[in-house]
Amino acid sequence: MNMKVVTRITIVSFIVGLMIAVQYNTVKEPSARDTRDSWELRQALSEEKKRHSQLLSEILALNDVVNKYKNNETENLGDVLSNTVEHLKQEAGLLEVTGPGITITISPAMELVQSGFSIKPISPELLYRLVNEINRFEGQFIEIDGQRVVHTTAIRDINGSTTVNGIPISKSDVEIKVITDSYEKAEKLNNYLNISSFRDAFYIDNLNLVIGKPEKSVTIAEYDRALENEFLIEQKGE
Amino acid sequence: MWLPFLGLILGLALGLLTDIQIPSMYENYLSIAVLAALDTLFGGIRAYLQQVYDDKVFISGFFFNIVLAAGLAFLGVHLGVDLYLAAIFAFGVRLFQNIAVIRRILIQKWDERHIKKSEKTIE
Repeated sequence: MNMKVVTRITIVSFIVGLMIAVQYNTVKEPSARDTRDSWELRQALSEEKKRHSQLLSEILALNDVVNKYKNNETENLGDVLSNTVEHLKQEAGLLEVTGPGITITISPAMELVQSGFSIKPISPELLYRLVNEINRFEGQFIEIDGQRVVHTTAIRDINGSTTVNGIPISKSDVEIKVITDSYEKAEKLNNYLNISSFRDAFYIDNLNLVIGKPEKSVTIAEYDRALENEFLIEQKGE
Repeated sequence: MWLPFLGLILGLALGLLTDIQIPSMYENYLSIAVLAALDTLFGGIRAYLQQVYDDKVFISGFFFNIVLAAGLAFLGVHLGVDLYLAAIFAFGVRLFQNIAVIRRILIQKWDERHIKKSEKTIE
């Protein structure tokens, strides 16, 4: 090959290579930089700490159960098992529970009713937003107008009336009971709901939301029907 | 024969190692310029293999194509018409054509050599 031509082509390919490299440098995504300041890092850390302590307490509880199983291997294994079943039933909502909590009542705003405003049924959207917020603030068990809220509960509009668990709730006077872990948490939930915008949101629908004071003992009835499972199948036999 | 590849690799290495960047607003121009440069490079190789290589045509084509492509893209940006597509289309088609011709020539050469070898063994 002619040396002169090779040199020319080499120079040009060098320039092409350089251009491609520069283009690559420019186009490639800069690696995402962590721009959080120390305060934000602190907050993230505290979130993780919370999770950590939650996981630790769960591990402790489970270890406890394991120890019970180990200790009672010969004697009353049945008792321990039934305790576990009880506990799971309570979590699933199949047992009546009593504990510290608050009672929330929704009633028509009388002053509006007297001046001629009609009362609308409580909108399901407001209701499930409220339930979500209660769950967010660690409400453990919830009951709406006598209907226990379990993991399969649907709050929705059926033929113009708001239903919980498929059963229509009262049009205007509804009592919501919430049970929390401890009295302090009930206080916290009460405070939060008092400062939240839920009261205004309900007032738009001509309803009064009254958030009760934290109580030492609130009782919530069990879920009165069988829980339906779509995917889990009961194993028969040993 | 391997000198052009060496040049390419050297260029790539130099560019990557020095981490040169251009403002992202000129990104389009550079990509078109790269395409134009590649087109000229393959055009040059083809011309050489076809024995019609001309130094002046090659070098002037290299710079002229780059400037024209970038200029077209610039004009397109200012007119609001995606004119750079025209450049991409033209260079893309020519790139494929050039590579196809180079391939044919190489295959032809290889065949010729093969035949010569077999003739030698027969003799």
